[in-house]
Amino acid sequence: MDTGKNRLLMWAAIVLGFFSSIILVRNAGDASVFPAFISDPFQFSEWINQGEDWLKKNYRWFTRMIAGWIETALYTVEDFLIESPWLLILMLFILPSIAYGGLPLGLLTLVGGLFWGGVGMWEPTMQTLALMGMAVILSVFFGILLGITSAQSDRFESILKPILDTMQTMPAFVYLLPAVFFFGIGGPPAIMATMIYALPPVIRLTNLGIRQIPAETIEAAHSFGANRLQTLVKVQLPLSLPSIMLGINQTIMMALGLVVLATFIGADGLGSEVWKAIYKLRVGWSLEGGLCIVFMAIIFDRLSLALGRPKPSALPANTTRFYLLPQSFDIYPIAKIIERPIGAGWNFIAMCGQGFTQIIAVTLGSIVNLFDSVRGQAFVIGIRRHAFLVSSIALLLSISIFDHFFGIGEFLESMQFSFREPVDNAVAWLTVNPAFIAFTKGLRALVYLYFLHPLDVFLTYLPWYIVVAVLSIVSWISVGRNFALVCFCLLMFIGACDLWEQAMLTLSSVLVSVLICFIIGIPLGILSTRSKRFDMILRPVLDAMQTLPSFVYLIPVLMFFGGNIVSAVIATVIYALPPVIRLTALGIGQIPVTYTEVSSSFGGTTSQTLIKVKLPMALPSIMLGLNQAVMMALAMQVVTPLIGGVGLGREVFNALNTSNTGEGLAAGIGIVLLAIILDRLSQAWTQTQRDALGV
Amino acid sequence: MTILTFKKTVVGGIAASILALGALPASAAQRMSAPIPDWTGGAVVCKLVQTILENEMGYKIKAITMPSGAGVYEAIASGDLDYACESWPSYSSSKDIMIKEFGGDGTVQYMGPTGIVGVSSYYVPRYFVDEVAPDLKSYEDLNKYKEHFSTIETSGKGRLIACPTPAWECDDQKRLDLLGVDFVAVELGTETAAWAEAQAAYSRKEPFLLYAWEPHWIHAKLDLVRIELPAHNADTWPATGWAEDVTFNYANPDSMAEHTDAAHVLSNMDLSNSEQAKMVLDIDVDGKDIGEVVDAWLAENESIWRKWLP
Repeated sequence: MDTGKNRLLMWAAIVLGFFSSIILVRNAGDASVFPAFISDPFQFSEWINQGEDWLKKNYRWFTRMIAGWIETALYTVEDFLIESPWLLILMLFILPSIAYGGLPLGLLTLVGGLFWGGVGMWEPTMQTLALMGMAVILSVFFGILLGITSAQSDRFESILKPILDTMQTMPAFVYLLPAVFFFGIGGPPAIMATMIYALPPVIRLTNLGIRQIPAETIEAAHSFGANRLQTLVKVQLPLSLPSIMLGINQTIMMALGLVVLATFIGADGLGSEVWKAIYKLRVGWSLEGGLCIVFMAIIFDRLSLALGRPKPSALPANTTRFYLLPQSFDIYPIAKIIERPIGAGWNFIAMCGQGFTQIIAVTLGSIVNLFDSVRGQAFVIGIRRHAFLVSSIALLLSISIFDHFFGIGEFLESMQFSFREPVDNAVAWLTVNPAFIAFTKGLRALVYLYFLHPLDVFLTYLPWYIVVAVLSIVSWISVGRNFALVCFCLLMFIGACDLWEQAMLTLSSVLVSVLICFIIGIPLGILSTRSKRFDMILRPVLDAMQTLPSFVYLIPVLMFFGGNIVSAVIATVIYALPPVIRLTALGIGQIPVTYTEVSSSFGGTTSQTLIKVKLPMALPSIMLGLNQAVMMALAMQVVTPLIGGVGLGREVFNALNTSNTGEGLAAGIGIVLLAIILDRLSQAWTQTQRDALGV
Repeated sequence: MTILTFKKTVVGGIAASILALGALPASAAQRMSAPIPDWTGGAVVCKLVQTILENEMGYKIKAITMPSGAGVYEAIASGDLDYACESWPSYSSSKDIMIKEFGGDGTVQYMGPTGIVGVSSYYVPRYFVDEVAPDLKSYEDLNKYKEHFSTIETSGKGRLIACPTPAWECDDQKRLDLLGVDFVAVELGTETAAWAEAQAAYSRKEPFLLYAWEPHWIHAKLDLVRIELPAHNADTWPATGWAEDVTFNYANPDSMAEHTDAAHVLSNMDLSNSEQAKMVLDIDVDGKDIGEVVDAWLAENESIWRKWLP
């Protein structure tokens, strides 16, 4: 396939195939229908519903028992978080943040906590925190167990892998309703649903972490006489800790992604705040709730990453100077004005803490000294070494005691703020702003008339066997014979479930969304490598885009772009854009400076260097962005039916409305299958690019 | 080692005392759980029932925010929720599976009508009738103005912001076709999306044809005019208008056998549309708190709700 002649032949075949399919589509009067003799006897959803009924009759007592345990544990945590004074809880988050992430992370946590209380959402935040915390702890426990098991056995790993793929891509709406019957309403089913979705990363990364340990290390452990269990606990697990922590980090992020959905099964918290708000079209209110989730996500993201890094040996305050802003900002005097007082204050607090610890150490030490002088010495040293821990406990204890006698009470009225009104006003203003509406209408017409509609018609009218054949052949060429066979079976399954047309509509929406992501994302990615300032503005925006629940922007998008498929595409673009920008920037940033210097020394202009050197070199990274964008766009297809999206996602949503688990599952599997096909194809292409560049 | 264990005990003890000082367990009472409907009308009915049960019968009701629909039915059938209020027969297909009176298996019990009677229809904004189409009264006049209602997706035909999901069995497109109305029924997936679309179009003074029903809070926000449809007829459905929706309360049978006094209230309540509308207006237009509005109504209208008690 590497000769020019073959390449020419391939292109000729593609062009010929394209034009002949256009002719086929033009002659077809209507959407292509999968033959009834295959789909009629294949009553997949009926079978699933019967299976569900059987499970309901026979195993409900068991799931209810588990739900009972989870509920007890959850309410204990929730009561503690809600009924404790807010200051105590806030300190419980800030102190570990300082200990592991330094003062900047501590300040971030402080800002987040004040935001939760400030917008008047302290209680829902604590409810969500309890729910997510519970789900994450259970996920981490079972995830590490499963990860260790799959690292021990190749067979188990190969069985587990497709299951994990399915868990991550199966829309949560599919299992939300059955979860109500098996686990009740509120916390327990929400935790179970969250676990299904958030468990895979921790399993994957535990497995990966253990498998990456060099064989020599294991052999060394064996040769020193360690048995299998000892090797695991003392060598493999500690060495794979950074990888496991990364898995936990991902699990937390994914769990937070399900916060809003949990409200559909009666779990209180930030999700129900957001839902109540958007139900009443109150964009500002839902944004406040959404930003609470964003803060939670950012704090726990940074904190769990910090926990994964080796702990700094000295107290955070022992560093000579305090930096809140990047050190390159030192040239601006304003940076020093901001940093100095905070640094000085912090040093003062640290000194107080150390002095206090000293007193405690000496007092307690002298008491122990009375009985055993050797232990007394060791005791004093031991306590001194943990100055941070000792002062933290003292602080928490004094807050508790103060609250017990005087009462800290509610979050201070004077610290509350709200930006609902301005946001609502801004949305209302934009909704009627003639220039803006002219722009949205133009964009809507452009996307619909020139991209979405033609592609919809093309994919749905094109006879199904052609689509199956083309995708199978492409899979054969780019991945291999086995995958071509798998691809063929998956597509036949979608057809047999009577979901052909919906699947093609979903495919079309995903392709158009990803295309728009690239049109917007690549220039932004390039721009962020060229300008540091732009990059600094872009980063938090991207963080927020990835963690803000999509429900928050569904309503404004709909109000600006109207209720139609284009709105669904725009919402998908907002969700799937960040990885494209990030990975474009990463790809270009990774290119060694020598390459670009060679290019300019040969007289290449900036744009020539960009187009001929930088972009081709960054292609593997950009292709990875494509892969991620496709997966995220597919995930979004289940949410967009809320504002007029069509395709498989709408089938899932309708099934949720009629509590038909079978139909929901069939359409959900359809989405999973599309995800598998698109994922493998784009991965194979990325690999081809990498090989071509020799990276 | 000893120091380490000692330290652990100390830390553990301190953590336990922080926990103990921080939180206090809640006490148990005669408890029931009910969902809070996400539309104001339903929320008012539910809050009324809840307040009466709490004040007059000493119940402690846990109100749970949960979008209405199949999930609520599922939770009532399994006993996680005890009762729910103001179900609209047209919009709950689960009733046909679970409530005996509608042909279901009886896992959910029909309690009785709430007194609220709803009716669905198609609506246009008042400004469109006043400024452009003074003669637009019934479905027969719609074709005359169809280009006003068309969008790029409907290619020349008018657009109806239809019943949001097929689960509600509105059959909008069939109705339009049978009645010869040259419009396309666009399903937006959720009720919220339909209201957002209408609200946005309304604020831009654009014409739109909207499926909606009364009583509903959207009428408090937007001034809409109802389009006449043929009177309801089960034989020619869907070529007709909707039947009246006699809304009802439903509950878990076991729970109602246990809490007969609560069951009595749920079966015998009778709130009129106009009384509900007053409260909805106070909440949605004047922005008052639902609890205060309901308390005020209960204080003023004792003669009405006393009759609902056993």
